[in-house]
Amino acid sequence: MNLIREIWQSIVRRDPLSTDKGKSELVFLNVWLHIHPAKVKKENMKFRHTFYLGFITFFLFLILLTTGIALMVYYRPYPPQAYQDMKDLQFVVFMGPFLRNMHRWAAHGMVICVFLHMCRVFYTGSYKKPRQFNWVIGVLLLLLTLGLSFTGYLLPWDQLAYWAITVGTNIGSYAPLIGGQVRELLLGGHSVGEGALIRFYVLHVAVLPALMILLTIVHFWRVRKDGGLSRPIWKLKPKTEALVTIGAPAASAPLQAAAASKEKTYGLMEVVTGKPIFETVTPEEEEDSVFSYPYAFVREAVVLMATVTTVMTMSLLLNAPLEELANPAKTPNPAKAPWYFLGLQELVSHSALLGGVVAPALMVLALLAIPYLDRNPSRRLGDRKMILLLFSIFVFANLALIVVGTFFRGPGWALIPPWVHVVGGAE
Amino acid sequence: MERKLQITFFALSLLALALILAAGWQANTPSWKTYQRDYLQLEAQGEPNEVTKAAVLATPPEIHQVLLPGLQRVDRCTTCHLGVEDPTMKDAPEPFRYHAGLGPHVPSRFGCTICHGGQGLATDKEGAHGNVAFWPNPLLSKDYIRASCGRCHKEGEVPGVPELTEGRRLFETQGCRGCHKLNGVGGSIGPDLTGEGANRRSPEWLEKHFLAPNAVSAGSAMPNFHFIKEQARDLTYYMLSLTNEEMGSYFSSVRLIPSAEYGRQLFVEKNCIACHAIGGVGAKTAPDLLGVIKRHSTEWLDEQLVNPELVYPGSAMPEYDLETNARKALVAYLASATPEDAQLILSKKTRTMTPEDVAIEAGKQDFARFGCVGCHGTELQGGVANPNAQGGEVPSLLHVSDDYTKDEVIGIIRNGRVPPLDNAAGPAPPLYMPSWKHVLSDEDINRIADYLWSKQQKQKDAW
Repeated sequence: MNLIREIWQSIVRRDPLSTDKGKSELVFLNVWLHIHPAKVKKENMKFRHTFYLGFITFFLFLILLTTGIALMVYYRPYPPQAYQDMKDLQFVVFMGPFLRNMHRWAAHGMVICVFLHMCRVFYTGSYKKPRQFNWVIGVLLLLLTLGLSFTGYLLPWDQLAYWAITVGTNIGSYAPLIGGQVRELLLGGHSVGEGALIRFYVLHVAVLPALMILLTIVHFWRVRKDGGLSRPIWKLKPKTEALVTIGAPAASAPLQAAAASKEKTYGLMEVVTGKPIFETVTPEEEEDSVFSYPYAFVREAVVLMATVTTVMTMSLLLNAPLEELANPAKTPNPAKAPWYFLGLQELVSHSALLGGVVAPALMVLALLAIPYLDRNPSRRLGDRKMILLLFSIFVFANLALIVVGTFFRGPGWALIPPWVHVVGGAE
Repeated sequence: MERKLQITFFALSLLALALILAAGWQANTPSWKTYQRDYLQLEAQGEPNEVTKAAVLATPPEIHQVLLPGLQRVDRCTTCHLGVEDPTMKDAPEPFRYHAGLGPHVPSRFGCTICHGGQGLATDKEGAHGNVAFWPNPLLSKDYIRASCGRCHKEGEVPGVPELTEGRRLFETQGCRGCHKLNGVGGSIGPDLTGEGANRRSPEWLEKHFLAPNAVSAGSAMPNFHFIKEQARDLTYYMLSLTNEEMGSYFSSVRLIPSAEYGRQLFVEKNCIACHAIGGVGAKTAPDLLGVIKRHSTEWLDEQLVNPELVYPGSAMPEYDLETNARKALVAYLASATPEDAQLILSKKTRTMTPEDVAIEAGKQDFARFGCVGCHGTELQGGVANPNAQGGEVPSLLHVSDDYTKDEVIGIIRNGRVPPLDNAAGPAPPLYMPSWKHVLSDEDINRIADYLWSKQQKQKDAW
């Protein structure tokens, strides 16, 4: 009996959870959980602050990893076996359709949630000092998400996949000088074929997920090191206070520093001089904090299960599309890129260079530069009317373009409302 | 609040578990298992005692499939159509009924979809029968199923399917290749027909299209050839048999059906009569073939056709590199060959021809084979409608020498030509003269010109 207790103790190495010490040790003695602080501010856990969108995105990514690995067992990345494997998943693999549906719906969900998460971060001004660079990493994670979704789109090797990737990579080839070469490098040829499939597969199952995991770790780490979640906007202090110096007093006011040291910081191993780079916490806020276990964990667990059950329910009710075997000789009219690139395709239909290269390049650059261009230190909505309006227009324009590209474009990219039925063009 | 969250968490976890179980239940109760249970009941009825009955009923459900790796096909039809090779099931209800009259085409070797179409990979009824979105080959209806024979039997005749032979003949003589490519040869005005049988076009569509191209595809450039109903059916059969799958080489041993008619065709084609005679009719260089199958065994004859020198040292007979079934067809013909038939063969051969005649005849063959006749007509009469081209139709070639020199005509054939417009502001006419220089050799083109000149009506007399 003693031996069992000893083994258990050697694994968890913490006090019982009934004690406060045990609760904090649960977090920081555990490699998987220590990304959490031992204590979190009550206000930060409020659903209406973050809508848990970052967590939902992460949980969707976990679903994608697990279902993706399972799908790899049944998939051969060369045509036309790839397509046959899709059919086998559909017809003979036990729970194959469910598995594939989960992967597909979680992937679409992840693109949507990344987008919503970025909107939340923007509207609450959470990209501001000291979190500027984490916003940049967030933008890179958005690009990786789109890249993963795009590379995964080709793998079923059906007409939908083939032509979406053909159109998608054509958009990229409008870039001057290097566009054509980049496309060729990506496709391993001049058109989508066997070479493209194996390259997209390697990107989809190895390169991009590895980068994704790496950047996700950095993203989470920086959330923690930047002082945890940003304060909800309804808890903002009336006016911005100067960050305080801790430890050794400044030269000009040696004794004043002692008053400022009421503000406590986490993470400093010793008392050092200089400004902390992270948000500081007042003793009142300290009072307002609770242990991560169980308060934060149970909320995250609820969000995890809500995400999982939503994806599962969708997968039971809705089947992922699978069209005919890819046929390079038979172009669907219109051939459409994946939905999240339809805004781009819509722009390209007006101007290849402006819409396909300049606009998206500017969009990404603008997103990356937002925290450095926005010099306004205030996070209160009332102080940021102009930029909020601009961002809202940007979001709305993107959504409108995607909606037009998805629902309002018929054969020949002609403007046709979805309620008008077009009689299929027989040759 | 905390209590509520915990309850929510457990409730959601239970829901997740229920969803997984639901997905598992759904996956575990496919319709084919029901069919297999019904079939076992049917089989058990015929069992003499309870022990064997129980043994039959205890057979675990499993997916049956026929793998055709060379064709990238997997047919799972026999998962439900369980009695298809079991003659005792000849009166069983569908989907268990025995498939009579298959001859050598047993499902365990050929699968089902090669002839029937449908989606062999699927294991549910709608999916398997292919009447679902995004499956280009639904089951062929009874009226057209025999067209599938032509997918493997690409040469010679298929007994019981005269439509195929006739369709193929129409295709080659009516000039379809002038606009349509088939297996890499032909024009590019119309769609490539190489894989036409694999396209999602219903047989009914094809048949209507042949009767009146514009009826089912508005604005089609295809001329109305005024086919009769039977011809439209023949062409539809031929179209349905066109596939770019490697059926022929996969089932190479069965590509040809060794019929006596095909044997005769080979006999003519290889010009056997140039050396042999049948009952004294023909040449005397080599043995008379009348009754040859009585003098030798079929094995001996087959050996002889493979390697004449081996069987008959010093034989002057060339090796013809014939396929197994082509040799069988020849032997079948020899069994029925008569001197009268030889006379018939000879009569078509012996017309004396000058070298000029030969060139003109070759030009005529080319004119038909490469599809010029499709637009310019089998008698060079032209007249196919071509809206907004000068004259509104494809020109007749009977008077071409009035307007052009021979070299000019050769130039037009080589480089192609867009017809002059009737109304310069109107749309381009649908038909145009394609460039042939990459398809035809200069020699072929010269011969075609020779043929055209041989047919010129002396317009000058009218002046």
